[in-house]
Amino acid sequence: MSDILTEMLTSALAEIETTTNTAELEAVETKYLGRNKGLNELRRAIGTLPKDERPAFGARINEAVAQTTEQIESRRAALVENELHLRLASETIDVTLPGRPQHAGRLHPLTQTANSVKQALAGMGYEFVDGPELEEYQYNFGKLNYPEDHPAMDEQNSFFVTDNLLLRTQTTALQGRVMANRRPPFRCATIGRCFRYESVDATHHHTFHQVDVFMVDEKASMADLKGTLGTFARTMFGQETLVRFRPDFFPFVEPGVDYSIMWRGRWLELGGAGLIHPNILREHGINPEKYSGFAFGLGIERVHMIRTGVDDLRLYLENDVRFLRQF
Amino acid sequence: MLVPIEWIREYVAVTADAQEIANRLTMGGLEVEGIEETENGAVLDVYITPNRGDCLSLVGVAREIAGLFDLPLKTPAPPPSEQGGEAAEAASVTIEAPDLCPRYAARIVRNIRIEPSPLWMQRRLEAAGQRPINNLVDVTNYVMLELGQPLHAFDLDTLAGGRIVVRRALDGEKLTTLDGVERELNPNMLVIADAEKAVAIAGVMGGADTEVTDSTVNLLLESAHFNPLSIRRTARAVGMRTEASYRFERVVDPDGARRAVDRACELLESMGQPRALSGVIDVYPNPSAPKEITLRLQRALDLLGIPDITIDEAQDCLRRIGLYAVQEGDSLRVAIPGFRPDLTMEEDLVEEVGRIYGYENIPETLPIGATTKGGDSEEGRFIARVRNLLASCGLQEVVTHSLTPPSVFDTSAEDPRRVPVRNALSSEIGSLRRSHLPGLLQVAQRNATRAGQRSLALFEVGRVWQNEIIAEMHTPVEFLSVAGLLMGEIEEEGWRKDNAPLTADFGATRGVLERLLEGLHISNAVIEALGEQANDYPQFHPGRTALITLGGDYPVGIIGELHPRLVSQLELRHRVYLFEVPLEALRANAEVEERYQSASRFPTAVRDLAPRLAESVTYAEVQRAIAAANATNLAGYRLVDVYQGSPLPDGVKSLTLSFTFRSGQGTLTEGEISAGLEAIRASLETQVSALFVV
Repeated sequence: MSDILTEMLTSALAEIETTTNTAELEAVETKYLGRNKGLNELRRAIGTLPKDERPAFGARINEAVAQTTEQIESRRAALVENELHLRLASETIDVTLPGRPQHAGRLHPLTQTANSVKQALAGMGYEFVDGPELEEYQYNFGKLNYPEDHPAMDEQNSFFVTDNLLLRTQTTALQGRVMANRRPPFRCATIGRCFRYESVDATHHHTFHQVDVFMVDEKASMADLKGTLGTFARTMFGQETLVRFRPDFFPFVEPGVDYSIMWRGRWLELGGAGLIHPNILREHGINPEKYSGFAFGLGIERVHMIRTGVDDLRLYLENDVRFLRQF
Repeated sequence: MLVPIEWIREYVAVTADAQEIANRLTMGGLEVEGIEETENGAVLDVYITPNRGDCLSLVGVAREIAGLFDLPLKTPAPPPSEQGGEAAEAASVTIEAPDLCPRYAARIVRNIRIEPSPLWMQRRLEAAGQRPINNLVDVTNYVMLELGQPLHAFDLDTLAGGRIVVRRALDGEKLTTLDGVERELNPNMLVIADAEKAVAIAGVMGGADTEVTDSTVNLLLESAHFNPLSIRRTARAVGMRTEASYRFERVVDPDGARRAVDRACELLESMGQPRALSGVIDVYPNPSAPKEITLRLQRALDLLGIPDITIDEAQDCLRRIGLYAVQEGDSLRVAIPGFRPDLTMEEDLVEEVGRIYGYENIPETLPIGATTKGGDSEEGRFIARVRNLLASCGLQEVVTHSLTPPSVFDTSAEDPRRVPVRNALSSEIGSLRRSHLPGLLQVAQRNATRAGQRSLALFEVGRVWQNEIIAEMHTPVEFLSVAGLLMGEIEEEGWRKDNAPLTADFGATRGVLERLLEGLHISNAVIEALGEQANDYPQFHPGRTALITLGGDYPVGIIGELHPRLVSQLELRHRVYLFEVPLEALRANAEVEERYQSASRFPTAVRDLAPRLAESVTYAEVQRAIAAANATNLAGYRLVDVYQGSPLPDGVKSLTLSFTFRSGQGTLTEGEISAGLEAIRASLETQVSALFVV
């Protein structure tokens, strides 16, 4: 019996050593350690031995089982490790292949720009208010201190729908709507579409988008306007940005300026600004001796063009997906 | 306005070069748009804002330069240059419309010889953009450029009765102007007439009959002041904009009229022409009263935000540009000269002090005062949610025109609900859009033909307009609308496709709409087939289109396939799917509060049913049947498959529905689950005549 055991143990250990994968190993495991198989089958023979030999033989079987089990586990660990390596090797792909495109939904570059303008101004306490695009004459011109017969009010320069309704030529039209309902202090802004009768080329369009920002408080000054524009411009264009004022004329501000920013070594004109004209404050029952305010406007397209180098205004409303997908 | 530097130096001894002068002018408010080097030296092209009519003259620009460089200004001060004979005896002036012509001054020169003007004058005129003609025309142009006062020369011998009458034109009165065009006038226009007829359109253009010619001997030189508004309207009505009308529109100094005509006579005399007759015929019934404005120093400091300008400095800033002031305590009493009609109030003077002191000296500060709450409007925040939801469904946002041509969506060009633009010159921008769908289709068409892009998923959020018609009254109403378009493969092409690419169909489009509704927490949407109403929507496929109702009594939105006829008309290759809903309807039905519901701790059980149904049974009817079953513990269900074809008989379809059961109280027993499933099965059998094979 003892020889059989020794033989079986020897061949078990040898077979374990020669297995090349975990499936073979499992077959060997079943062959020698399965229920009533191999070493376990030998246990049945214990009863046939003389009584005094039985404990010693039993102990030898246990020892052989333990030795085999240990051998199997260690072999298994090696084989698992080996198989993992093989799998990893076989699964190697060409990681330099281009990615498969995911279906992209994006916001229009004007929306993206408007969002960043909103974020910058909201952080400075400006509340956004919406006004109609088809605006009443009184808000677009009447209450904005235009002198009678100002060239900008020429019917030919605007899109009129009725005597009293036109597509707003400027988002400044909102100022009258806000001042009719609010008392200072307030800080408001609006972003929207404006229309002027222009022939369309790379730098002119009959449809464009503007942000108009205005505030009224005690002692608001040109210095506050400059500081606000500076902070806003640095948020939009970077910390190095400088702001410069130049006198200019708009009916709704006094003094009126146009402002430029220093961006990458060049002065770029951005828009008009100034202190809200005292006639406008008075018109809405705000005492210009106690309160003053400032306002500034800016083209959304212009911001995007400066930031990205787009050089043709018409691209924004053409919606060529090859353009839109770049942003 | 072209400004020759050489000419400017006659009035101000500025030594800086053209570039430096240009920089200072630009930063001082007169924007120099270009510098041209000519044989007569550098010439600046200066843009003059509409409020600064005084700078439409070289003396005006010189005054600004003198102020900006703090140099003295020398202006021409012509001495009276007269000879025997009274002007008043040679001609007479009557103003019949003093509201439109506050002042009319004239001088008479006899025995003039028409010849070329001296070379120096010709050079200056050329540098300033004027073509030299003869001594007389050149002198009037020269004085206009120098002083900003337009002059007009009449051949005195052609003026009937030697009379000048300033009056409104008669209805239907005709005048042939210098350019040879006969023009019909009306009483809104101011004319210069002689004893018989109109001889010039006041301030705009002279008449051919009284024009100075080579044979002219005697001369009447006009230097007048006209109402700017009247000149503007007349110039516009006759379609002429002349150097003269341009200046009169921007207010010419009435007090400068006499000096200008004197200056012209002085120049003529210097060229060897006879002196003018004695006296100026000057009709100026209501001379302008001297104006004064008080400027409080503190007001200037407050508004400019520059804390340290002294009253002496402020006074000096004003003096430099010809505004003389006296100090009264902490204020300046400033005399406003006639050439600055734009200065009407204290704030105007604050600006003058500021710009001469230098805007570059304004510090950057931030407003102090109450903190205000910043942020987007409620509408803006809602629109942002809509945009983000649609973009997350893979749709690209587009922004299209509000002004649109007639489109395939207009049943007729005269549709009364369209809002036309009154003065549209082109039908391309002839009316306001009523819907985003035509714009989206145009974008699709353009991308297909130009960019070869035949697969698109697009959306737009924006304003649209429609006439509300009540008792024949048309009122344009503006509202926000959300629309989308899906066309072709809605997955982008990659380098390997395991399955056929997903192509736009009604289900995909409805899926986008459902994602939008779900994201906005809208639970009351009803989407139902067009049915009988198909005729009202000829742009849509009658069998693949549905109306969307959100809470109200009638549908507000639409979703469906573009009619195949239009697909081929627009030369699109794929089927096109569209949807549009007014934003306000979405906003009104969106649940504002988001409530948390705890997930059940107990396991779910999933069971399928595969009812066979008549083809005509809609899914909405199946949904109603399931709802009617009121099955206990039913947590939800979804449609897995719709099958038609072999081995099913014609006219029959089979649905596969997957039901999820769950209880909040405990693990469901098999008995409880099948009780629920049986209730659904029974309801489907009775409500929609479902057959179950298994």
